[in-house]
Amino acid sequence: MLLDVLQGTEAGGFILIQDTVSCSGRGILKCFINAALKRGEDVHVLGFESPETQVCAGLDSSCVQKLHFHEGFPDPLGWKCTSSFTVDQFTSQHITQLIKDTQYAKASVLVVDSLSLVLRHHDPVVICQRLQELRKGGVIKTVIGLLHSDLHQQGVVGIVGHLASTVISVAPANNERHGVAKTTRRTKSGKVMQEEEYFSVSEDATLSVQAKLRQPGHVQKEQDVSEADPTSNLTFNLRLSEEERKAKEKVALPFVFSQEKKSALLRPTPGTGRIMYEPDANDDFDEEDPDDDLDV
Amino acid sequence: MFPELNSILDSTPDSYKSSDFILVSDRRADASFLIHHHLSFYLRAGCKVCFLGLVQSFSHYSAVGQRLGVSLAQAREKGQLVFLEGLKDSIGAILQEDTSQETQPLSYLRSPGPRLEGLFRFVERSVRQSGDGDANESWGPPVLLIDDLSVLLSFGVSVGAILDFTLYCQATMCSELQGNMVILVRCEEEDADDEEGLNLLQRGLVHQCNLALHVEGLPTGYCRDIHGQMEVWWRQRGETMYNQRKIFHFKVHDKGASFFARGTSSAVL
Repeated sequence: MLLDVLQGTEAGGFILIQDTVSCSGRGILKCFINAALKRGEDVHVLGFESPETQVCAGLDSSCVQKLHFHEGFPDPLGWKCTSSFTVDQFTSQHITQLIKDTQYAKASVLVVDSLSLVLRHHDPVVICQRLQELRKGGVIKTVIGLLHSDLHQQGVVGIVGHLASTVISVAPANNERHGVAKTTRRTKSGKVMQEEEYFSVSEDATLSVQAKLRQPGHVQKEQDVSEADPTSNLTFNLRLSEEERKAKEKVALPFVFSQEKKSALLRPTPGTGRIMYEPDANDDFDEEDPDDDLDV
Repeated sequence: MFPELNSILDSTPDSYKSSDFILVSDRRADASFLIHHHLSFYLRAGCKVCFLGLVQSFSHYSAVGQRLGVSLAQAREKGQLVFLEGLKDSIGAILQEDTSQETQPLSYLRSPGPRLEGLFRFVERSVRQSGDGDANESWGPPVLLIDDLSVLLSFGVSVGAILDFTLYCQATMCSELQGNMVILVRCEEEDADDEEGLNLLQRGLVHQCNLALHVEGLPTGYCRDIHGQMEVWWRQRGETMYNQRKIFHFKVHDKGASFFARGTSSAVL
């Protein structure tokens, strides 16, 4: 499913890539940028956390002119007044204007690296509103955001995740060369699909995906452990012959309440006393057996 | 500087990686010996060092540096070392009548919404400053050392503000000036509700860094011959998962520290 999302078979939407300290999501982000560039789409990157050289390293050089990098990185808060894009300018009007300023702008892809910095400086609800405005605005076809899920409260991560049409969470796998990506996709009809896959990112920003098999532990090689037979190599005999086995199965266990025992107990044996009971006027004598409904 | 650590990290004063952000963290242990190592390492490599000493006095570092073979006083006089003495200057900053100075380095102690912009500008000024007229003073790439960053949380600075500060420092020191950064931060025990805490700060810094050195006590308890374990985590920023993590044991001596692979301490072998 990850490759489907990457190829953009479902047009548009908000794709959220969640990562943690153990596994960075920038590799997948780069693959998305690369895939969009290869499709000929205009990609606008708001880089707050990484320099342009790092984000663009390994991208397909023939399409790089379609990539517009808005440098927030050296100065995302405007302290040095040298930045072309600060965190405070993350509004739908500003971004729409920025995209319209590029020539021949058609449906573009907006990449935010990363949303964590934006959420640190603005109210999450406001940011969600702005993201929604950007999606509905018509100028932007797809929004892709990177979020460090271990730097925010769960509620904040949840809010942004709900807004997204696709959420990809990356985690480390046992194997160092691969990571595990859990993709949750919400279609327009409301259906939610989830899949977990192994992935790896190559030097030239291409994604290779391997389906994760359902049985846990299947990745490790199956260890052939031949079970040792405990009844062998003993000085005494623990095995049963056929007749012994049949006799064993015939034995009536002492505390199992079988049908024969029940009828034997209920049959009056000779010599026991009989109980004569004559109910009084006040007695409430019920003929029914109160234990009748027991399933013994 | 510790030769064994140099071989583990594959760096010497003559050849070391530049544009590196090294994060030193500890949990219920003291990782300041690593700060002393890096201080002597970079002074020996001839770099221009800006040291924000927020928790100890200059004489403390000077004394330890002497044992490791570098003279901090001399470096400061020559202009190789710029030392911000946080302890001594804090009183002055708090008692200062003049509140207009937003760009003072310790302005976070006073301003209502503490931002570390002033501290960042101090750092920037120190590393961009070239020698005053001395022709033979060309130092190597600049290095920023901070000991320790988590104390700012106790001053009311928010985790977000500290992360912004380190982002700016990284942008200036590592990306622009091709220098290095070494920051010490302290962690605490894992807590369930960890919204604004040391661990959040540490996680944010790990996201940004290239190399994380984490010092902890031994999980099995106190040992006389092994003072703790250090986890070295090589992170390649921007690449996904091929990160390497290794754990070493160490013992701190009077004049250095020795590092060895797990299970190979002289007490065991």
